[in-house]
Formats: sequence, C-alpha cells, structure tokens
Amino acid sequence: MEDKPLKALDKSSGHRASGKSSQQDIRNLWTTATLSQPKLNVALSDVCEDSEGSSVSSRTRQWRKQTAGHDWDASWEALEDRKDKDSFKQEELDEHSLLELEMRLDSSVGSHVEDDDESRTEKPSSVSSFNIVKHTHHRAYWMEQHNRLPLPLIELMENEALEILTKAFRSYRSGIGRDHFLTKQLQRHIEGLKRRQNKRLHVSAH
Amino acid sequence: MRISSEAEFSLRLQAARAFGLKSARMKLKEGSFLWYLYLDKLYCLLSVRNVKALVDYFHLLDVHRKNTLNDVLFYHFLHHVTTLTRRQINIVFNMLDWSAMGEIGFDQFYMLVCILLARENQLEEQFIFRHSRPVFELLDLDGELKIGADNFHMYNFLFNIKRQELRELYHDFDITGDRLLNYKEFKLFTMFSMDKYQERQKAEKEKEKDKDKDKVLLKKKRSHQVNMSPNTSFWNKWIRK
Repeated sequence: MEDKPLKALDKSSGHRASGKSSQQDIRNLWTTATLSQPKLNVALSDVCEDSEGSSVSSRTRQWRKQTAGHDWDASWEALEDRKDKDSFKQEELDEHSLLELEMRLDSSVGSHVEDDDESRTEKPSSVSSFNIVKHTHHRAYWMEQHNRLPLPLIELMENEALEILTKAFRSYRSGIGRDHFLTKQLQRHIEGLKRRQNKRLHVSAH
Repeated sequence: MRISSEAEFSLRLQAARAFGLKSARMKLKEGSFLWYLYLDKLYCLLSVRNVKALVDYFHLLDVHRKNTLNDVLFYHFLHHVTTLTRRQINIVFNMLDWSAMGEIGFDQFYMLVCILLARENQLEEQFIFRHSRPVFELLDLDGELKIGADNFHMYNFLFNIKRQELRELYHDFDITGDRLLNYKEFKLFTMFSMDKYQERQKAEKEKEKDKDKDKVLLKKKRSHQVNMSPNTSFWNKWIRK
C-alpha cells in the first residue's frame, strides 16, 4: 500500500515535470479559485490549516474512492502524500500556471469524462475566472465545499473563541499564575488564533 | 371535581408561564455562534452539519487538547454566550459533570447547547418529552433514580418549570406518594406537558387564523368605504348646495 503513491509518482513524473504548477497541489488551485482572486499570495488552506488539517485527509480518501483507476488520480495521490510530508512549499499561482494545469488535466482525464457527470457537476458559480467546473474531477471540489464550514462562520467562531479565551487567560493568570504550564498553553493557543486572524485579514486586504 | 382542578391547573400553568417569560429569562447573546445554530423543532436535535460546526467550536475552546472543557473555560464560555449568572453556571457545570471530574466532554457540551437552544426557542416541553431519559438522569443528582422537588426547582432556569407547576406536578404525578418522581412518573409528566404544549399551539394557531380573518374583513370594509367615498362627497356637496 505504501509503495503505490511512489510508483504513481514515478509514472507521472514525466507528465508533470515542467512548469511552476507541477509543484502544486490541485486543492490550492481550488481554494484560490474559491476566493475569485487568482493572484492571491496566501491560499485559504494556509489560513485554515489547523482547523481543517484533520478533515482534509478523510475527505480526500472519500474522493479517491470515487475517481480510482485514473492515472491522473494516482499522481494526484502522490502529490497529496508529498504535501502531507511537507516536502514542498506552496507557491504563488498565476494565470499561466492555472491554464497550464487545466490543459494538463484536460488531456489526462478528458477522455474519461462522461456526459452525465458533466451535467451533474455543472452548477452555477462565480468562483473562478476559468470555466473549470465542467470537469468531472471538480466534483471533489464541490464535495469539499459542501463539507467545509463557510468562511464567515469560521471567522465568527474564531473571534468568539478568542474573546472567551482571552477572558479565561486573565482568570488563569490571577488564579494559577503566569508561569503555570496551563496558562502558557492557553497563551500559545490565543497567539495561534490571533496569527490566523491576521492571516485572514491579510487575505481579505489583498 | 377533577375537571375543574385540571382547568385550574392549566390556568395556573399559563399564569406561571406568563410570569416566567416576564421575569429574568435566560437568553443567548444575539449574533453569537450558538445563536446561528438551528434546533430541529420536532426532534430537538441539531443537524449533522450543525454538530460538525459545534465540534469545531468545541475544539477551539479545548485549549489543553483533552477533548474537555474545565470549569474556568466553561464559565467564560457560558458567561460570554448567555445571560446566566455565576451561580447558575456553577449549577449547570455540576449538573453536567456528573462524575465530578472537573471537566465536561463534548457529549455534555452538545446536550447543554441543545437545552440552551430549546430554552431560547421556547421548546422546553418538547425537549423534555423527546429526551426524557437523559434529562431525568441529569436531574437525578444523587443517582437514586428519583428526583426530588428541590432538584427540579434548582434547574427551573433551564427547563422553565416554576414552583407552582412543581407543586401541581408532584400532586398529580407522584403516584407512589414518596414525594419523589421515578422515571415512569416523570415520563407521564412529560407526556402530559407535551399534550398541554400542543393544545396551546393549536389555540395560538386558531387565534392567528381569527386575526387573519379579521384583517381580511377590515380590508374589505376599508375598500368598500373607499369605493363609497366619492359618492358621499357628492352627497355632501349636494347638501351644501
């Protein structure tokens, strides 16, 4: 089981050897497309990395089942594993790379696309400047979008949690002291939340 | 005799309810995360999507990564989200922390959120009826499988059961006569209060229908008057001439 992604990677290495986008995870493309801003520096997955990290693997597992059998899928799996191991960093996606990626996906999966699948995945959307929703593999994108909490709700939750935890931090400090490990743990958590909030603000500012 | 006492009881119940609504009522903070959750009115449960959101929220508050909330975090959470007092929050915490671990897990947290939403949406009777067993276990603080009136009264701010109602409840449903309610007696009470709730809802619906009818009649009358008004002005002018 462990060898499969590696093999798949070898198989597809020539397929995606050149270009900036060859280093990219397909999810980054989706998340960037979701924000309707193709030139964003920070991907959404970066902003919500902590809260969603655990659920991404289960979602992709489900997605793998659906599209099993495609070469493209195997290479995608391999890329995903690489991402999990933090073996590569995220890069900025420009329009050129998006086009390139789209064309490559067309060539690898286009022949397997069924008409009824197309009609199922074709939903009204204003999320992307490209008409990428008509491809079958973007069903995974829609599934991800349906399972994911909407961004304003995440923002609301985090803001509220931050307020609550800040109050709790004051209680901890006065109750068990500034140097207690629980107080420090709480402080770290608050700082992490603040960092995430700042990142999100950075995204919205762009 | 029985009928008159029941009628009197229902009147008292309504009076107590009206009084309860006017008195300090626990409310969720408007615009808070819980305020956006939707409690199913029939089953008094959250949808899977809402539960998922709640899990994420719980994990944000679970600072120490133990899948629990301690009393300090719990206090600040409830104090931030509701209008409950410190004493009431402590009571709720003790009620949920049945094993006295000093922490509550997600199951208890979920239960609490459902209770708060039921209270907010005035679905207390429905909630107690649908979840009679867990509610009974929560109210049974001593684990004797019986609930005393004092325990019941202590949680009136959560389940909206007033002292007067309680007297009636123990008078009517304490079949064993030990001034304690066992689960069967409690279940009977939930069924009874559910019937009352449904009757009240029917009455409210009928009232609304009557109001709508009255509105339609008023509209018709007004339109009739408008149609008549040119004629009356004509007659007025004619009389003046």
